[in-house]
Amino acid sequence: MAGLNRSGADDEGMAGSPPPAAASVALDAVGKRYAADGDGDPVRALEHVSFSVADGEFVCLVGPSGCGKTTLFRVVAGLTEATNGRVLLDGTEVTEPTTDMGVVFQEYHLFPWLTVAENVGFGLERTDRSSAERERRVDEMLDLVGLTEFRDAYPKSLSGGMKQRVAIARALAVDPDLLLMDEPFGAVDAQTREMLQRELLDVWASTGKTVLFVTHDVAEAVALADRIVVMAADPGRVREVVDVDVDRPRERGDAAFAEYVGVVRELIGAGP
Amino acid sequence: MATETGPEPTGDAAAAIGLGDPRRLLRGSLGVAGFLVVWYVVSLGSPAYVVPSPLAVAGAFGSELASGDMTTALYRSVRHWIPGTVAGTALGVGAGVALGWSRLLDDLTAPLVRTLRPVPPLALIGFAIAWFGINDWGAAFIIAVGAFWINFYAAYGAVEDVSDDLLDVGRTLGVRGDLDAVRSIVLPASTPGIMTGIRTGLGRCWMLVVASEIFGVPGVGREIIRASNNLRVDQAIAYILVLSLLYLLVDVAFRAVERRVLVWRA
Repeated sequence: MAGLNRSGADDEGMAGSPPPAAASVALDAVGKRYAADGDGDPVRALEHVSFSVADGEFVCLVGPSGCGKTTLFRVVAGLTEATNGRVLLDGTEVTEPTTDMGVVFQEYHLFPWLTVAENVGFGLERTDRSSAERERRVDEMLDLVGLTEFRDAYPKSLSGGMKQRVAIARALAVDPDLLLMDEPFGAVDAQTREMLQRELLDVWASTGKTVLFVTHDVAEAVALADRIVVMAADPGRVREVVDVDVDRPRERGDAAFAEYVGVVRELIGAGP
Repeated sequence: MATETGPEPTGDAAAAIGLGDPRRLLRGSLGVAGFLVVWYVVSLGSPAYVVPSPLAVAGAFGSELASGDMTTALYRSVRHWIPGTVAGTALGVGAGVALGWSRLLDDLTAPLVRTLRPVPPLALIGFAIAWFGINDWGAAFIIAVGAFWINFYAAYGAVEDVSDDLLDVGRTLGVRGDLDAVRSIVLPASTPGIMTGIRTGLGRCWMLVVASEIFGVPGVGREIIRASNNLRVDQAIAYILVLSLLYLLVDVAFRAVERRVLVWRA
């Protein structure tokens, strides 16, 4: 395990020390409790989650089921309110959804009544761009995800992989600072998943966006991330942050790749 | 899972009444022919004021049409059918969307809605006469009440079923406030349910045309009641057929519109 750069959660400012200045996203001791059914103690879905994602960085969030990954995703997106702590995006506290953040969901959630181009342009309609600018931006995004020839198709006629490309283009169209993704490739077959992963890295490289990517697939995290935040369950918390020190493009057959996968799996599998 | 390969909806009126499929058409024709034969046989042993023969009905249809009575009755019915249907549909959809979306409005109106809901439109005839008189407006009121509830519940249910996920996506893309959410997500997402309500309402309104003319407003319904009172069952059936034909026409036209509006649907 030598050579793997690991930093324990304790080094990440768990005690509420100020987040790093250059951070694009910073989570500061985020906690979330749900009232339990009956008389039990409230469920601690998240406790004291602190980490940050630097500008332009690609960070993956992995963890066992029930560790609060999706809750954390919703808190960062501003869709669910945290019980304690706060989320900062470029220094501003996130209390509700913001167009500075492009959000991609596992189940695509395209607007079925809109064409591909209209879906991509949905967020742009609410900006002060002129219609010519919006059109140009939509074309640019469709080109980025390779769906130019499907611009007038409705979502019903697209495959899962194509739908997720549309969702990514839609999220990127308003030019957000952060791309936040919740298991975006979890609903497509393995082959499509690897293709989408490569495409996402290309998009990331060409746009320079900061990405926070939630997944349960460890190999996916190792293939994509600069750093992997490994969570533990009960209560949901950060177990460890792993730097993935492998040059891209990464080959799944490489020894280093396999070693990282093993390390992260071990961290996830370790008891509470 | 590449592009969808499901059967394309054959988007014409012919398909809607079964003309698209030759076997279905043949079987349908056989069914009608069989029914006419049975009807004819039964009519042989019955007086015309109980069961008139199909030929007598065809004759009555022809003479009523030729005399112009039928077209006049039809025109008079349409004069309250259209305003009643349009007003009831518009108010029903509007109220259904508003109450389906706003918890506050729903809570405020729930007792009222539950009290008024079980009242059959026909029980309101007295109000129709008092408020509007024995005229097209009175009849339109009865029809509108019927259209209102069907559309109200269809729209209410459709709005309730709009996925929270789509609303979440909308918020991340800058949708702010109730009006924006309703206009850009709730309405389009609930259009299929609303359209089904409108279509059901259109049929119901044709039935209510007859009921709304009971108290004396002229029209097809009035002719049916008049013919029945005079034991002219052949004429009554002829006018009933007119209603059926018109309903079929409106339904086929609406389905064509629906297919166009909902072209995005799987």
